[in-house]
Amino acid sequence: MGATLRAVRALVLLAGFYLLGVILLAALAGADYLLYLHAPSGVALKLYVVSVLLALPLIRGLFMLRTPKGEERPGLAVTDADEPALWRTVRELADQVGTRAPTRILLTPEVNAAVSEDARLLGLLPGPRRLYLGVPLLQGLTEAQLRGVLAHELGHYSNSDTRLAAITARGRAQVLRTIDTFEERADKTAGREQARQEKKNAKAAAKGKKTKEIDTRHSGFTYRLMARIYVAYAHLYFRATLAGSRREEYAADAAAARIAGRDATASALREIPALSAAFGFYMNSYATLGSEARLLPPRGEFFGGFGRMLTARQLELVGLRSDLPSEPSSPYDSHPPIADRVARIEALPADGRADEARGAALTLLADPERTLAELEDAVLTDDVLRFARAADWQELLDGSMAANFVSADTALHRALAMYTKEHPSLRGLLKVIDDGQLWQLARRLPVSDQAAEAKGRAFREFVRPALADGLQTMVLAELSAHSRLRWEFSWADAAMVHLPSAPDGSEADLGAAIGAAVADHPDTGPLRALLPSAPQGPAARETDAPR
Amino acid sequence: MTVLLWILAVLAVPTLLIGLWLAGVFLKEFFRPSGGDADPDAAEALGLLPAERQNTKYAGPLPTGVDATLAAVRGGDWKAAAKLLHDIGRDWDRRSWATGLLGGIAADDDEWLLAWEADRPDDPDAAVVRARSTVILGGQMRGAKRATYTTGEQFAGFHRMLERSREEIARAAALNPDDPTPYVTEITVALGLGYPHAEMDRLWTEITARAPHHYEAHYMALQYWCAKWRGSEKLATDFAERAAANAPLGSLLTVLPLIAHFEHDQSDDSEVDRTPRMIGRVDAGLADAAAADQTHPRLPELRHLLAYYLALQNRDAAALEQFRLVDGHVNALPWRYRGSEEEMAAFYCRIRNASAQAVAAESAD
Repeated sequence: MGATLRAVRALVLLAGFYLLGVILLAALAGADYLLYLHAPSGVALKLYVVSVLLALPLIRGLFMLRTPKGEERPGLAVTDADEPALWRTVRELADQVGTRAPTRILLTPEVNAAVSEDARLLGLLPGPRRLYLGVPLLQGLTEAQLRGVLAHELGHYSNSDTRLAAITARGRAQVLRTIDTFEERADKTAGREQARQEKKNAKAAAKGKKTKEIDTRHSGFTYRLMARIYVAYAHLYFRATLAGSRREEYAADAAAARIAGRDATASALREIPALSAAFGFYMNSYATLGSEARLLPPRGEFFGGFGRMLTARQLELVGLRSDLPSEPSSPYDSHPPIADRVARIEALPADGRADEARGAALTLLADPERTLAELEDAVLTDDVLRFARAADWQELLDGSMAANFVSADTALHRALAMYTKEHPSLRGLLKVIDDGQLWQLARRLPVSDQAAEAKGRAFREFVRPALADGLQTMVLAELSAHSRLRWEFSWADAAMVHLPSAPDGSEADLGAAIGAAVADHPDTGPLRALLPSAPQGPAARETDAPR
Repeated sequence: MTVLLWILAVLAVPTLLIGLWLAGVFLKEFFRPSGGDADPDAAEALGLLPAERQNTKYAGPLPTGVDATLAAVRGGDWKAAAKLLHDIGRDWDRRSWATGLLGGIAADDDEWLLAWEADRPDDPDAAVVRARSTVILGGQMRGAKRATYTTGEQFAGFHRMLERSREEIARAAALNPDDPTPYVTEITVALGLGYPHAEMDRLWTEITARAPHHYEAHYMALQYWCAKWRGSEKLATDFAERAAANAPLGSLLTVLPLIAHFEHDQSDDSEVDRTPRMIGRVDAGLADAAAADQTHPRLPELRHLLAYYLALQNRDAAALEQFRLVDGHVNALPWRYRGSEEEMAAFYCRIRNASAQAVAAESAD
């Protein structure tokens, strides 16, 4: 099948997507007409009712097809005046690819770059274009690599492959967005129903009546049904156009390699999955570290820290780069597996451009620090922006850890509360251990079936890790409450905790002390020695005033 | 309408007949004496025990006095355990066998062992029991199911215990340099932690330098070389054949080729158990058993396997002879691999009864 023929087929399938509802309605009407002609009126009447019931969701579905204009994703819009170098690069690339430059550039906090177009007339006519550019890409890629990524994205809109390729790509985006909207609306309907039922239950409960179980399975049903029909059709559409889309991806890669250089394009593709993993890790372990304590890193550092972490963890990135995903990321993804794309680009003849533009892509920004700070304002929610700002990362770590320990609630806390009917505290736990009740307490921990069945030593060995973990959390919380812990912040490693050193200057061995406290014959002595002003023995504990 | 009734009636007759036949089969099955297997009468007439009276803890009777010793140890008397090992002395086969029994008790409750260790801190006997009990405890935490049915927590516990036992094994070995028992214990660690073959060979040199024809060492090493653990059918068979060929008569190592065959036997019928090669292996086993020390604690294990394969080879008289020598205890291969204690005893009795019945039928003719 030639390229034009393939595009025509895609066009017909796209038309089918919009006509699906109309055709189904026509089929129903036709069936009713046949009934009117041939069936006895009693039977026909019942079937009319059925067909009306069937028609309702279809009509509803037709209205759902009014796709909302693609809403602009959150990001920081930058004008030509803000970032002249970036705009110049993008225009230059669009020119080389042979397509229109975007009319807006938005910086986003994702490891992704995308060009989107608000196509008009159901995806047939071109509309305004936006470039979404992830700042983490700027932080992690060289300038040449970034040019490769941008050239690829712009390449999707070039007409070099076939005149109709652009239409296919636009249609694809439109169909995808439509089914996304279906799912979203169905969820919203279900959410409304849940809220309604909860309110009803609350009223019933207030009047002392029995409440009903909340069941939202039936709401959003027509939406879901229609969505299912359209999703099934969309699958067909995607499958039919997949081979073509793959070709376009490879063509866009080839264009990128031509414009940005073979090596830069291939290495950018290798880099993106690694950056993506690293960014996820950064957001979890660094940027949002203070969410419990309602603390933010210093202004500009929320996203800015990512660059520092990348520098410190270069060696880990090497490992991430070498194993490339060989599966497509989702069934809707038009991109071939990254491993294939890299292999194809690397198979191109060497172009001797390996040393071009090796500077960091972040230098394309006029004032990176200012931009990173403005990005925070643009994409973080107002609630988050009202968090206190830590003076530096060390302070953020200290504050977050202290807050985490204040609210620490492990299985051991709950078991202890159940066993002693008191507020769980380290003091209470040590008393239980000293009274020889550790293993009775351990029976209150949630354990697996195998551990629950085990007896004697086997049971103790099964639960010992959980006991040690819980106890360690409680001990660290206690030390933290007395400001006895010192946390060591590092971009390269996990945060390290330091205990106050023993009188002879050696580092306290918390592991050994905890091991002794949860041994078969527990001894809390070593642990008590580590604790601040801990009561040293049973006699001292008796006189200890309650806090 | 009547036509319809006629048609129904014609159809009903064969349906009714099938129903009656099924009911007959069901009733016949229901009232048949126990399970449709060989009649237990023939076996029990010879004084052999019914399934519910078979001991499922041991492979054979414990030597006189040992039962009382074990009971005393369970009651907390560590001196009884110390005396048992002291009396055995340098009989390495018996030492590892007794260590296994004591280690099993300590895996459930080690208060007596702690008392022993407190009283005699550097007693090599206590050290070897300690190491053995940790390995057994690991095995209990893992459970006996295949890897797919074993949870991550169970594996973690198993590996933690095996890791811990390595230190204890090294200590026991250092306290009694002549003793192969700590190294024999280490084979289980090799199995569980997946020692590379090179490491296993190193361990094996340590063992054979101390006890060249040690029963339990060979039994456990064969497990290591089996396909289900760290080897293959070929490695296991080669190991078993070589060890059996080099061992003196009466060392009981003729059991190894039988075990290697049993561990890798995937067939549904007993043709593979009747080959001239298997008959030769069984004959070698019979000669070995006859020449062995009749009080050897491992002799019943060989006899159980001999009885099983003799029965499969239709040598029922010889099979029955072995069954009579071991009857009363069934915790041995091949019965041991059945899921529960009841199934273990039931499997044993099924094969035994078939042989007894065949022998009875022959003598009646």
